[in-house]
Amino acid sequence: MSRVHTLHSIPVCVQSIEVTIGDNAYQQNRVNQWTTNVVEQSLSQLSKLGKPFKYIVTCVIMQKTGAGVQSASACFWDNTTDGNCSVTWENKSMYCIVSVFGLAI
Amino acid sequence: MAEPSEDKSTSERSHGTKSKKTISKTDSISTGTDIQGHQDDNFVKTVTMANTYQLGPYKRFPVTAATQILKDVLTAHLQFATYEVEWSQKMTKTLAEVIKSHVKDLGIPRYKYVVLVTIGQIVGHGMQISSRCLWDATNDTFASYSFKNSSLFGIAAVYAVYYE
Repeated sequence: MSRVHTLHSIPVCVQSIEVTIGDNAYQQNRVNQWTTNVVEQSLSQLSKLGKPFKYIVTCVIMQKTGAGVQSASACFWDNTTDGNCSVTWENKSMYCIVSVFGLAI
Repeated sequence: MAEPSEDKSTSERSHGTKSKKTISKTDSISTGTDIQGHQDDNFVKTVTMANTYQLGPYKRFPVTAATQILKDVLTAHLQFATYEVEWSQKMTKTLAEVIKSHVKDLGIPRYKYVVLVTIGQIVGHGMQISSRCLWDATNDTFASYSFKNSSLFGIAAVYAVYYE
């Protein structure tokens, strides 16, 4: 995942978040659907870029109650070809973190 | 009359061949340097892209063993912990590194790993994590484990991606 490729995937994630969540308030019964939609849309947009990559996309949606959350990743891969990007997004009632990992085939 | 003309022709030929030889020598020298340069490039390429005629992994990624690693590491580090922001920031990073090194110690060749660790505070809020992968489902796989105590939760996932 080159630098350009990484820069391409950030707006892809942001767009898929904004389309699915937008200004909605946190609702327990809809969160499952939202995370699925965000991940699926990001993945389908990324696959449309037509690059020889395998992708891993994860999405975390957390209700805003003043609670803290930390996330970290460690990877064992080829630094020259593989890469990742992560997007943090929030609205009034929730945080959304999307991480994309691209591994060259 | 014929003999000297023949001599001339032979001498011309010899000159011609000589001159050709010198040219060819210089050519060979120049191409020699070029070839060396190419060889260096090829050398680097063959190291990364050697053809082994191997179509699949000899050893698949052991999901149960990886899950056990995640369980052991998370339980050992988080069992008696209480949530603090700075501690948690450091702990996510160390846990990711520890899990990565443990998974590498399994010694499965031709696999790339992505380790994702999340630690969060429990204050009665809702949270959902989901992931989806675009990969070859026959060889690539993942393992995940979630740990919870009274003040925090920890979620760890390892994605193993086969690299040909």
